[in-house]
Amino acid sequence: MYPNLTPFLVALLGAALAVAAFIAVRRPFLRKLALRQVARRRGEAALVIAGSVLGTAIIIGSLIVGDTLNFSVKQVAYENLGPIDEIVSSASIANGDEAARQVERLRGDPDVDGILTLRGDQAAVTRGSGSRRTAEPRASVWEVDFAQAAAFGGAADGGSGLSGPAPGAGEAVINADLAKAVGARDGDVLTFYLYGRPTGVRVARVVATKGVAGAGNGSVSRDAFFTTGTLVRAAEAARAAAPAAAPKGAGPGAPAAEPHTFSFVSNTGGVESGNKRSDAVAAKLKAALGPLASQGTSVEKPKQDVLKAAVQAGNGLGSLFLFIGSFSIIAGVLLLVNIFVMLAEERKSELGMLRAVGMKRGRLVRSFMIEGTVYALVASLAGILLGIGVGRAVVVVAARIFNGFSDDNGGFNLAFKFTSVSIFNGFAMGFLIAFVTVTLTSMRISRVNIIAAIRDLPNEGGRRLKRRWVALSTVAAALFGGLSAVAIAGSKGVGVYLYPSLAVLALCPLLVRLVPKRWAYTGASLAVLAWGLSANTLRPKVFDDGSTATFIVLGSLLTFSAVFLVSQNQELLTRPLRPLIARPTLRGLATRLAVAYPIARRFRTGAILIMYGLVVFTLVLITVLGNLIGATTDSEVANASGGYAIRADFNPSAPVADPARTLTSGRFAGQVAAVAPLTVTDGKVTNLNPKFTDPLDVAVVGAGPDLSENGLFPLTKRLDRLGDDRGVWRAVQSNPGYVILDQFLGQNGGGPGSVAYKPGDTFTLTDPRTGAAERKTIAGILKSGQGFQGIGGQVFASPLIMSQTAARAQFGSAAKLAAAFVKPAAGVSDEALAAELQGQYLPESLVATQIRHQVEQQFAANRGFFQLMQGFLALGLLVGIAGLGVVMVRAVRERRRTIGVLRALGFQAHTVQRAFLTESSFVALEGILLGTVLSIVTSYLLFNNDKDLQGADIGFPIPWANIALLVLAAAVASVLATAWPARQAAKIRPAVALRIAD
Amino acid sequence: MLLKRKRSGAPVTAPAASAGDSRPALLVAEHVRKVYRTGEIEVAALVDLDLTVQQGEMVAVMGPSGSGKTTLLNCLSGLDDIDAGRVLLAGRDLFAMSDADRTTHRATSMGFVFQAFNLIPVFTAAENVELPLLLGGVGAKEARHRAVEMLERVGLGDRTGHRPNELSGGEQQRVTVARALASRPAIVWADEPTGNLDTQMASQVVDLLHELNKVDGQTIVLVTHDPTIGRSASRLIRMRDGRLVDDEQLPPAGEPWAGGRDATMQVEG
Repeated sequence: MYPNLTPFLVALLGAALAVAAFIAVRRPFLRKLALRQVARRRGEAALVIAGSVLGTAIIIGSLIVGDTLNFSVKQVAYENLGPIDEIVSSASIANGDEAARQVERLRGDPDVDGILTLRGDQAAVTRGSGSRRTAEPRASVWEVDFAQAAAFGGAADGGSGLSGPAPGAGEAVINADLAKAVGARDGDVLTFYLYGRPTGVRVARVVATKGVAGAGNGSVSRDAFFTTGTLVRAAEAARAAAPAAAPKGAGPGAPAAEPHTFSFVSNTGGVESGNKRSDAVAAKLKAALGPLASQGTSVEKPKQDVLKAAVQAGNGLGSLFLFIGSFSIIAGVLLLVNIFVMLAEERKSELGMLRAVGMKRGRLVRSFMIEGTVYALVASLAGILLGIGVGRAVVVVAARIFNGFSDDNGGFNLAFKFTSVSIFNGFAMGFLIAFVTVTLTSMRISRVNIIAAIRDLPNEGGRRLKRRWVALSTVAAALFGGLSAVAIAGSKGVGVYLYPSLAVLALCPLLVRLVPKRWAYTGASLAVLAWGLSANTLRPKVFDDGSTATFIVLGSLLTFSAVFLVSQNQELLTRPLRPLIARPTLRGLATRLAVAYPIARRFRTGAILIMYGLVVFTLVLITVLGNLIGATTDSEVANASGGYAIRADFNPSAPVADPARTLTSGRFAGQVAAVAPLTVTDGKVTNLNPKFTDPLDVAVVGAGPDLSENGLFPLTKRLDRLGDDRGVWRAVQSNPGYVILDQFLGQNGGGPGSVAYKPGDTFTLTDPRTGAAERKTIAGILKSGQGFQGIGGQVFASPLIMSQTAARAQFGSAAKLAAAFVKPAAGVSDEALAAELQGQYLPESLVATQIRHQVEQQFAANRGFFQLMQGFLALGLLVGIAGLGVVMVRAVRERRRTIGVLRALGFQAHTVQRAFLTESSFVALEGILLGTVLSIVTSYLLFNNDKDLQGADIGFPIPWANIALLVLAAAVASVLATAWPARQAAKIRPAVALRIAD
Repeated sequence: MLLKRKRSGAPVTAPAASAGDSRPALLVAEHVRKVYRTGEIEVAALVDLDLTVQQGEMVAVMGPSGSGKTTLLNCLSGLDDIDAGRVLLAGRDLFAMSDADRTTHRATSMGFVFQAFNLIPVFTAAENVELPLLLGGVGAKEARHRAVEMLERVGLGDRTGHRPNELSGGEQQRVTVARALASRPAIVWADEPTGNLDTQMASQVVDLLHELNKVDGQTIVLVTHDPTIGRSASRLIRMRDGRLVDDEQLPPAGEPWAGGRDATMQVEG
């Protein structure tokens, strides 16, 4: 992932290593000192490496998730398209034949190495009968010249994918996916409903689903191949059998059914390399087609589209995990700081001696830098292996979720994959983060008071900042204040949160001169916290840019300021614990000690609180938001169905005749209360918002007045002058210029964002076949477009709803009757009706989708994804727990003498152990509670600002059980992590701890 | 006024008083042996050592570095294990007890003053002093009351809420003395109590110890390098190579402490 970052990272990595190498070569003494420290303190070295290894692992894991998705989507292109780079399609035979003749002129072009013309359509296929019947309502049927197909795309890897002898009359070659769907084998007889008429067909052979034999729509292609003429003759026969083939209810001008004509074009080069010529070849094809391009013949670049989608999907998912992982990475950085400070504390007297004998501070820093480089290098290398493991684990879980997207496991197959670019990028990022952290920490810890260090005395308190620094920071505060004003005025995500906080921070040196330090810091952290929580109320568009950086900055600011606030006021906060602490029992004394140390050691306690707070904040936020979204299932079903429980999609080449009448009469009389037939075609949207540079694909749905008369799809926003929701739907029927959109047009995942358009906005809607373009106005935006999702087989296009009359006027015969919303009568089961409809209209390839089931399936997948993200975040919790363990190890070492005194005074060994365990529990629980409270408040504010959630009438459900489980698991893990140091503390013999040389 | 002492357990034997002293023996050490092992090297820190300390004695232990002074103190107080012999404090054999019992015995019967003060840095002066009281089962209010009283006695009544890093070395050591005495122990062990102090502060602390010994009859065993302090005690023991080489009863009044002044209960801060 991110190959564009690689040169930059190479440069930074090279520079860092060069600096370290230069110092090591130029100053052998520093090198010797650093390397011997590593060798001498192997335990500490292992601790530092373990601390920084997780950062690299999280980054590499995230990048690998992106690689895997990218690769998996590309696999679809390789498998399903093989050598097919462009497809020229015509809805009529006449146009198709003419287009094929024109396309043939490119044979011999250096960019083109194959052209294959074939005809195709959709049909239902069944095998067996009665209860043993298996069916596939949406198979693709093709007639093709097998000799030409075998020779197509000769240079492509793996050939055309369709070779071997042509099937005989009454025979077909089927691909493995179709064979699997109906359970067919060579020689089986299947029933194909070609243009609604059943035809017995023998399976000549089953071929692998790839190349031409895998050509289809989306990721599922169930294909059957016949010899040339089969489909044309079937269509003619169907027309002859029913002269009024134009289906009733399809409206005037509906075409007679006939197969589509396709010319597959293979570019010179392999499966992937040929794609680079796609733009040039598409241009040549359009030029060759001439006027046909505006008469319903279109040129598509499916492979380029899929490969582009692969990169987008990979980057989107990878960056999502990187975004979630960023909180853990920040926690990892703090852990590293803590470990390094601990190392320095242990070497304090040594550092003091080195300074005393004349070593300059800069050299001390450089020595630490060399040491840090060794740790960072080893940790980053180890992080590669761990990262691959993390990525693999995420992919395994994600694969299950993706497979759950559809009932037939045809959702999406994830194939684990990582690239050297991702491994390098992750390694370099992990190394650089560790290197920079270690270098900055070294600068801080090298500022030792020589005498204090040698005599192992406590550090002096912070010195008062010089006046010029106060002046400078005040100027910086003013500067950040100015930047804040600009950012707030423009609702710039990161700036709105970051600049005011930096302004407050820069103001602190001045404030501490004016008021007591605690007041100044308490006020500053309160101000940042309040701003973090309320900014999006004052500037609702702050998240509109969809940048994940905004969320990272916000989460970090909230946690840091809350921890700072708590650290400054620990005494106040622990006052309610006094009765417990003051108890004159051993337990009470242990508790008093356990609370006293974290309160006294503000920096290290604060660092742990931030680690815990940050990760728990995100974990709980995901839990609460996941629960909140889950709680909206019922309202989402109501919004998505518009009062219709079932959507029926059928083959536009063999549609259900007059569905409004057919589906409410005969055997369905009394079972179906209302039907709203829909036409479907594809269109392109342009000029909607400057941020959309490419035309947007839409599924143009033509609805009749009955759609909003028998039901009502609620709108989230509407053009005020049109009145309420029903008024808007009526206006759409009466005014061909009005359309209704869903909320996700133009969004391709990768991060949260908001709707980039509003009612009243205008745009251009174009028929890609004819180029017919019309100006449309958004009359309303659907609360949920899920009921329209995948309509007419257009899986990836967002729905655009207009009147059926307007759709026919612009798109002509391409606007085909392809679906209908069905409202079951009262007391009729959705499930039973859907099954009955599907069985009855199998020849028409009817697929009945229960909208509730679809919504629930989507929610289940979302839940799975939330759980996956929680699992990924748990890595961050590991960092926090490791941090706490480190701090406790450090505490035991530092407090040996104190432990000796306590034991001398009468503290039992188990009381010492209890004191340490209580201390770690106190810190862990404080961090966990802080993150939890902050998270619930933040999610409540988000909930309060979301009109849709407010309107869902679900209250603000908090998943207490889940949160309690999470808190408990984190607390128990923390206590377990500190059990060892606590036991070590208990084992300390008082005389040994107190021993002073005689 | 003699401070009331808590005793734990019944005496197992009635230890003999040292020659010419009718006071009962508080501490009896018999054939005590302590060996430090570092890898294959063994160093005998205490060799077949016998010692009896009478109630109300102030015993100074002196000797060159490495002679076993601190080891003696650690072993006789039960802070460290011994390899042979036995130690009876108020009639109870320290090393016949479990670690937990020995710890409880320490909490109720002993007080400690260390060279490095060793106050709990995160506790205030009052909290440090009340610690052994709470460990001994005294109620929170009573413990605080007695801690403040003790701090007032050592001249730190106005420093009860200060943490160790907010006190001078002398003040810290006086807090340590207050802590050692707060639970009215049978014996106070002081290991180089003036080692980290300047002359003036050292004088204040030694004056305080003398006062407590004379006025309250507090038994004190004091390890020191300073011959003047050593000779100011009621008894001076000298050690060499883990053995007692000299045991000298000093005149009851003790040699005047060089830096000493008129002992007062209130010591200036």
